[in-house]
Amino acid sequence: MGAGRKNLPKSHSSLIDPVGVNFLPVSKKLITARFISAGIGAFIFLAITMVPLILHLIGVWAGYPAWLAWAAPAVVVVIVGWEMLLIPRQVRAIGYAERDEDLLIRGGILFHRVMVVPYGRMQYVDVTMGPIERMLGLSTIHLHTASPGTNALLNGLPAAEAARLREQLTARGEAKLAGL
Amino acid sequence: MPEHAATAPAPAAPSVPAPAVPEGFTTDSADTWHRVHPVSPLVRGWIAVAAVIFIFGRNSLDSLFSGGWQDGEAVTGGTPVLFILIVVGSAVVIFGVAFFLSWRFTRYQVTDENVHINSGIIFRQQRRARIDRVQAIDVIQPLLARAFGLAELKFDVADGGKSAIKLSFLKLAEAKRLRAAILARAAGVTMDPDQPMNVQEAPETQLLALPPRRIIGAAFFSSTTVVAVVFIAGAVVAVTRTGEFAIFLGFFPLFIGIFASYWKTITNDLNFRVASSPDGVRLHYGLLETRSQTIPPGRVQAVSISQGPVWRPFGWYRVQVNVAGYGDDSSGSSRSVVLPVGTEAEVMAVLGLVFPDPGVERPFDVFAAGLRGVGADEGFVHSPRAARWVDPISWRHNAFRATATALLCRRGRFFRSLQVVPHERTQSLGLRQGPLMARLGLVNFELHSTVGPIRPGVHHLSTANGLELFDEQSARAATARRIQRSEKWLQAKQTLPEEPHHGD
Repeated sequence: MGAGRKNLPKSHSSLIDPVGVNFLPVSKKLITARFISAGIGAFIFLAITMVPLILHLIGVWAGYPAWLAWAAPAVVVVIVGWEMLLIPRQVRAIGYAERDEDLLIRGGILFHRVMVVPYGRMQYVDVTMGPIERMLGLSTIHLHTASPGTNALLNGLPAAEAARLREQLTARGEAKLAGL
Repeated sequence: MPEHAATAPAPAAPSVPAPAVPEGFTTDSADTWHRVHPVSPLVRGWIAVAAVIFIFGRNSLDSLFSGGWQDGEAVTGGTPVLFILIVVGSAVVIFGVAFFLSWRFTRYQVTDENVHINSGIIFRQQRRARIDRVQAIDVIQPLLARAFGLAELKFDVADGGKSAIKLSFLKLAEAKRLRAAILARAAGVTMDPDQPMNVQEAPETQLLALPPRRIIGAAFFSSTTVVAVVFIAGAVVAVTRTGEFAIFLGFFPLFIGIFASYWKTITNDLNFRVASSPDGVRLHYGLLETRSQTIPPGRVQAVSISQGPVWRPFGWYRVQVNVAGYGDDSSGSSRSVVLPVGTEAEVMAVLGLVFPDPGVERPFDVFAAGLRGVGADEGFVHSPRAARWVDPISWRHNAFRATATALLCRRGRFFRSLQVVPHERTQSLGLRQGPLMARLGLVNFELHSTVGPIRPGVHHLSTANGLELFDEQSARAATARRIQRSEKWLQAKQTLPEEPHHGD
């Protein structure tokens, strides 16, 4: 943490970013999207953990320990709050860069990750859109190589950019096509 | 059985004058189909038949007996015997019809470009695989198939070992001819214009054969034995403490499992032979079920040489490979093992086969340093001192070295392994760093290979080394891809360097 912390705000960078590579950020709307999905999850968990509390308060389930009734929702609130706090930084940490031969993807604030996927190695490209993403005009692009270890997933690209990237990637993949 | 039902003039393919050439193999025109050997459903389904006969036979015997005992005299007169006959008869008919249909509906064809197989009675399936996509070919002979002189031909494409084209069963000679034909097509052999469809099997030269005592020794000096010793000791202690011999009975299933494990290893690996041929590396092994695997050149995605602490006094190593068609061996097979137990010299010989160009001077010294070395010998770059906080035992053993053609990753002190990944087989690269590693200035480097037992990577490099390796390795992989040999390995020379890619 220590060394990386002062770099974290605004344009995020980590110690393991390759030098001289200009990473493009993903859309800021991804923060909203992740807030919404985290919020929905939080709502569900909160609703579940609130049931014993309400039952306890209205006296139906008086035998239920009060501390547990309060603790469960409190834990959920703390976890979700922590998650929400991290989301903007996590999203700012996601970046990608198209180079001549390959695509670079980076992510993570505490657990940094950088990955390079050569165009010639791509087997196929997925562009997907969930309901929240569609609402915000975002897409997710997923690159697949012949290796299961290639976990090249880019969330939160604007739909137009995702389409452009997909075309670009497949065109370049064809030009640089290599066997296995 | 080749069925030349329709040798009708195929429009595109040249006419086939020779119907059955004893040596060599003719590929099929679009209309020629073959069937597998008629007994193959029985060979495949004999376990089901045996199980039915066993269960039913036992039950009926039981009822015969109990009937006889209960009533004091033989009341098992007419009905049970008739009943048994009816059941047996109908079972024969049902199995027979099913076997006949499954045989009747399975047809295959090997053309110059593709392997086709049509199968299924109710749910029909037509599968077609491109020959130049072949990753490996196996000829497998289970015990019963050997009795009939039959063999199964397995054709692997790069689908992570999910499904391959299986032709079971063919006559052994037929399977070998098909293998030769497929490999010749895949190699892009230029054909004799007079006899365009005749292929001779590529000659193979045996490189090494493992002696049986080594296989048996390796099986006994293994982790299985460590487990066995621990359990036997535990059982003995428990018995002496309590004086209850029944405890041994409780351990009995465990002993059966251990014995089965020995049995499996030994019968699988006995007669292990490695041969080389122009069609690639060829492995033969097996005592009861014999297999011969062919891995064409350029299909090996990664190699790992490993040694556990028990094998170290003997100087034995195991060599495994990642081949795109083999999958990760999770189904209990060991197809990715190219040398179950070998000395260092044998390991080097096998390495020379699967990986002909080490791309370094004095390859023996470099690979030996990769196998046994410690620290920075032979240009290996190991983890920095800071890594001793997270990896006090093996930080000086975790190292890498790049040669002109491959990346060598060394790992482990007690369980040593050396992973070799050719540059042109690199799929993608990654760097990972957790919070503790960031504080210590360390980074994990990972290299993604196809599905298989080997997951190459170097742990706990210094950040500077890791970044440098990341950059250099992606550049090296890009260069290697550009000058990569053709998939058709015997055509390789014609398609060498193209123009360097545009745009930089």
